[in-house]
Amino acid sequence: MHLLNLIRRSAFKLIAPKMTKYGLFLTMPSKINTCGTLRMIYLNKSISKNADENIDLDEWKLVVLSGLQKEAFEKASPEEEPNIAAIKEYIDMSRRLGKAAPENITEEQLERLIEYPSVTSRNKYLAFLASKEMRKNAEKEKKKKQREEREELKKTMENEELVPKSRLFRAIWESSMDVMYNWKAAQAMSFGQPLVFDMDYNDMSEREMQNTVKQMMECEGANRKAVEPFHLYYCNFKEDGPYHKEFLKRYGDAWDNLFVTVTEKSYVELFPRDQIVYLTADSPNVMETFDHNKTYIIGSLVDKTIRKGVSLARAKRLKLATAQLPLERYFHWKTGAKVLTLDQMIMILIALKNTGNWKEALEFVPKRKHEGFVDPSLQQFINRQKNKRASEQNFKKKLLVDELSKKRLWNGLWEE
Amino acid sequence: MGFFLPKTNWVLQTFVSTKQNFPAVCRCFTSTTSWRWAESTDPKAFHQEIKIKDDIMTKKKAGKKRFAPKPFSAFVAGSSKMRAMYNTNNAVANDSSSPLNIVSTPDTPLSAKEWEKLKEEYQHFKKFEDVMFDSMVHNHSPVDVAKSLLVAVAKRDGDIEYSYLVKYLTLCVFHKDIGEIYDIYNIMKAKYKSLEASAYSLLIKGLSVSSHWKETLVLLEKVKKVSFHSRQNYGDCIEGALLNQERNLAFELFHEMVAENLIPASATIKLFFDFCQPVKDDHLKNKCIDILYYLRENQIYPDESLMLSVKQWFESIPGENWKGNLTSMNNNSRQCPSCGHLLEDINLSEEEFINVKDKIKKDVIEGTDVFRNTSPQELERFQRFVNEHPPFDVVIDGLNVARTTPLNPSSKTLLDVVVYLAQKYDRLLVLGRRHMLKNSFQWKKRDMDDMQKKADFFFTDNMSKDDPFLLYATFHSGGHCMLVTRDLLRDHRAVLSDNVTRRLFFKWQRGHQMVVSSYVPGKILTFEDALPYDTVVQTDGNTWHIPYDDNLSKRVSYEIPVKWLCLQKK
Repeated sequence: MHLLNLIRRSAFKLIAPKMTKYGLFLTMPSKINTCGTLRMIYLNKSISKNADENIDLDEWKLVVLSGLQKEAFEKASPEEEPNIAAIKEYIDMSRRLGKAAPENITEEQLERLIEYPSVTSRNKYLAFLASKEMRKNAEKEKKKKQREEREELKKTMENEELVPKSRLFRAIWESSMDVMYNWKAAQAMSFGQPLVFDMDYNDMSEREMQNTVKQMMECEGANRKAVEPFHLYYCNFKEDGPYHKEFLKRYGDAWDNLFVTVTEKSYVELFPRDQIVYLTADSPNVMETFDHNKTYIIGSLVDKTIRKGVSLARAKRLKLATAQLPLERYFHWKTGAKVLTLDQMIMILIALKNTGNWKEALEFVPKRKHEGFVDPSLQQFINRQKNKRASEQNFKKKLLVDELSKKRLWNGLWEE
Repeated sequence: MGFFLPKTNWVLQTFVSTKQNFPAVCRCFTSTTSWRWAESTDPKAFHQEIKIKDDIMTKKKAGKKRFAPKPFSAFVAGSSKMRAMYNTNNAVANDSSSPLNIVSTPDTPLSAKEWEKLKEEYQHFKKFEDVMFDSMVHNHSPVDVAKSLLVAVAKRDGDIEYSYLVKYLTLCVFHKDIGEIYDIYNIMKAKYKSLEASAYSLLIKGLSVSSHWKETLVLLEKVKKVSFHSRQNYGDCIEGALLNQERNLAFELFHEMVAENLIPASATIKLFFDFCQPVKDDHLKNKCIDILYYLRENQIYPDESLMLSVKQWFESIPGENWKGNLTSMNNNSRQCPSCGHLLEDINLSEEEFINVKDKIKKDVIEGTDVFRNTSPQELERFQRFVNEHPPFDVVIDGLNVARTTPLNPSSKTLLDVVVYLAQKYDRLLVLGRRHMLKNSFQWKKRDMDDMQKKADFFFTDNMSKDDPFLLYATFHSGGHCMLVTRDLLRDHRAVLSDNVTRRLFFKWQRGHQMVVSSYVPGKILTFEDALPYDTVVQTDGNTWHIPYDDNLSKRVSYEIPVKWLCLQKK
């Protein structure tokens, strides 16, 4: 092999000058793929030998070392604890390597980072912080752009003459919508069907707790906007407990103005036992219909490590009726756990309450989890039959019309 | 297969290099070749397919065996893979082509200008240098080529990014270019206050085989400051120490590593046995034997190469005349077929047994919430039941056994098993759920009545889990009681709170679990018996028996190796 190479190369070297004259080998050496037998680079080297031999392969070291003096000054400035500084440096280096790590990190986050017991958990946390930071930056950028656009719009508006237009109503702002929602929520507080969130889950991690509270806020928002809202109960709520702290952090002052019943009592004390249905994916019973006289309970729990049967155990202890959504009956399930998020649950329940139609309600199950509904409902079947018949009739009509028009055409032709 | 690959490569290269329009052609070809490689170089997939087909063929011929359950050998290495293959009937998925291979790397150094030109060609990459370096690392390009790219970058930017340095370092470490590694080390030291873990690991790996190996110990300390050690880092340091005849230091590092709960790689342990081979002093010998005891304590099984080193090490001890044999045990007796010695018994000691029993009650049945698996009333009922009855000989997982074959009504299958076992053992217990008592197609009332004459029954609620009760009933009956189920009980092992108990539980399971291995209704019923010996590194002074993983069968964590090294002093 090697010998063959040598011969070929030498042969090429002989031919090369001639060929280059004709411009046949003016391709770039860099285009050549990995090691082959006919190395065109050799050829090129022989052509432009002077240029190539000048590559000083260790030149980069000199360049890098010469750049060092500048950085040496920068290094002296930070005065922190050596340990924390080292870890900050470490994060910075990981970022330079292209790993997911945040640019800025607070003391609190650093402390939490150090507490993590393994490389993977630390890396995960860093990646989480990095993505958070990225999202924040993107939002900032977007807002900045919007502001600029608005200002530009203002400028153009100023140039035009403002003609007062006559309108029937004043513009409906968000605040007026809010007033309406609040009215409805107040109405629900006195007459609405209760829906209970069971907040007696205390062994959640911090992340899980944050997610839970965020989902519950979504729930409250979705419920407000419903045509007929539920009367939400937050049961087993502990004053100054982890839920309370998280809620205060998110809601701020608005927490005290929510149209929600927050209570330390258990739902068993508030409602008659035989009316309570605990919704849990582990339940052996499948929910058939939505009952307007029942009190449904949702466990306000996010468990990233799916702990099976936690809420079912709770219901078993209190001897309550349980139910799960008929997901398997309606869907070709694809991936993912059958545990849905709290906001998805409430959307489904609201839809059920207002329409009683499972298909419409289960639209809120994430699309990625299933491959469509199991079988077309009867209505759909009838619709399709109708369509079929209609299309057949249409087709016949069309044929008739065609024939007629043809006839006419022919007649016309003959007439001419 | 081996000579086939380079040949195609060669043909391709010549073909490509005669073409004028390069990048497009290159890209298209690299992709096609990688596909072809993926298809042709996967001999396992190939064999598997044939194997499965063969199985099916023999089955069809045999005819009789059509109703037998799939081959099931519970804990033997490689059986889970076999089962997976059998169940899915699929060959293993092919590796897809690597994304790192999209850029063709030059094979000689280029000048800055030429790099510039090349960069223009790959404009669509955001960071050409990144992609190029990745590709070089992937293809193991020569160091000089990467160096020339560094020069080009340095000339252009006046500096070199950290990530390029690390990627270049990877290449140098691969080619073992020690001078270059040391230079990079010095540059990094001067430029950055501290590095991140991957650069440290690379430096440790690179420097450990050089004359600067002492630096690796400094680096090892530095890693500790910012991150966690990996067993690879320790392994490299140990290699450095051993190469330079610093055995005591190597052993110190080993102990440090073990103290940090890192499990040393097989290759690291192999180093000790390789480098301590001319065993002269007793101190060194004892240290090596300590390592074997460490393997025993932690149930680590050596791989084939380590096993060979250990064998050689023993045979090289002067004056003791050790003889090593490779063998595999007979599954029915504790005797080693090579030397006739009895292997260790699989039964747990009394203390261990009680410990595991208590842990099962606490962790598996009760867990964090009794209501998750059962209810307090049921637990009480069960305990009363167990206490009222004298110890059982066999406990049967009714629902699991009944599902052995789908073609037979469940109650019939269970009846067959119960009748069969009743001939051998006196006292049987069948655990099931309440719904089995309802007369249905699967559960015939008549069969159930027949069974209840031969065995005791305990039915849990339909919502409860029966496996925890199964385990507890078996343990309650004592060390002689056997368990019949096809379940591997992995989830119950996982909820046990500590590692030692988990290991003991697995040992007990290997010794006490019987599995229905083949069943044809009315004709064949065979059991795979429990192992009588414990699979662990063991010695009695004059012999060593060491189970090891051979290179062919891929063992998963809940399986045990079948091959043994038998060492005997003569």
